[in-house]
Amino acid sequence: MFPPPEALEVELERLHPAAFGWAVACCGSDRAAAEDVLQASYLKVLDGRARFDGRASFRTWFFSVVRRTAAEQRRRNALWRIWPLSLLGSAADGRPDPGAAVVRAETTRRLLAALGRLPRRQREVLYLVFYQDLSIAEAADVAGISLGTARTHYERGKAALRKWLDGEHA
Amino acid sequence: MIDRDEHDLRERFAALRREESAGAPEFRRMLAAARTRPRSGRRDVGFLAAAVLVLIAFVAILTVRHGHRTPVDLAGVRVNVPTDFLLQVPGAELLRTVPRLGLMSFDRRTL
Repeated sequence: MFPPPEALEVELERLHPAAFGWAVACCGSDRAAAEDVLQASYLKVLDGRARFDGRASFRTWFFSVVRRTAAEQRRRNALWRIWPLSLLGSAADGRPDPGAAVVRAETTRRLLAALGRLPRRQREVLYLVFYQDLSIAEAADVAGISLGTARTHYERGKAALRKWLDGEHA
Repeated sequence: MIDRDEHDLRERFAALRREESAGAPEFRRMLAAARTRPRSGRRDVGFLAAAVLVLIAFVAILTVRHGHRTPVDLAGVRVNVPTDFLLQVPGAELLRTVPRLGLMSFDRRTL
């Protein structure tokens, strides 16, 4: 039994701010691409192309939909860069939208710069645990990896992040 | 030490979350935009089909042009190169006169 579309919309609206933050993280801080990914994810859920089976929490499941959609978008953008088809259409080119830039505090800029140096998996796990307040097990579900792998990414990522953040004061 | 580190990271991420959520687009506006946007999958399939058609046309043109090419009779071709004189050695005419079967005379003593 799948939730009716109205109930799905209510759930998506409740999750929207957190989902947007997660989409931004999945798109390497590109807010325009994140909006695109989130729109595509909402459509997938509301059209029934992505179905919630109740095995995980709705938030964990929806975040994994967003992560997969962002990966699809990355592949599509890579294809559009290889093929000169972008001349014919209006595919996202992956560049940040200057109009959508956010004024960031210095500490946040440093954090983002340090996060940007981490491998993607480590960045994802840290983001899910610290930003989204998920447990490591839930982060593993979202990232589609085992709990042990998620723990390793978490520990290594945290150590690297700590080192870079401390290093900037040295 | 570990707790202090975690606490510091959590605070930094909380600041990031506050900034992100302050600049998050409205849910209803995004949903409306999502419902009006063209399906990228269909667009990709269209362009892929167009690319395949162009490739097929290109191969067909190449095949047709290749089929109309005038054949060259290599047996009638004589190539003259500046180093030909090097092959003019004494006795070269013997190499050009190859004996033909049926016209050869055998010496019975060597059989």
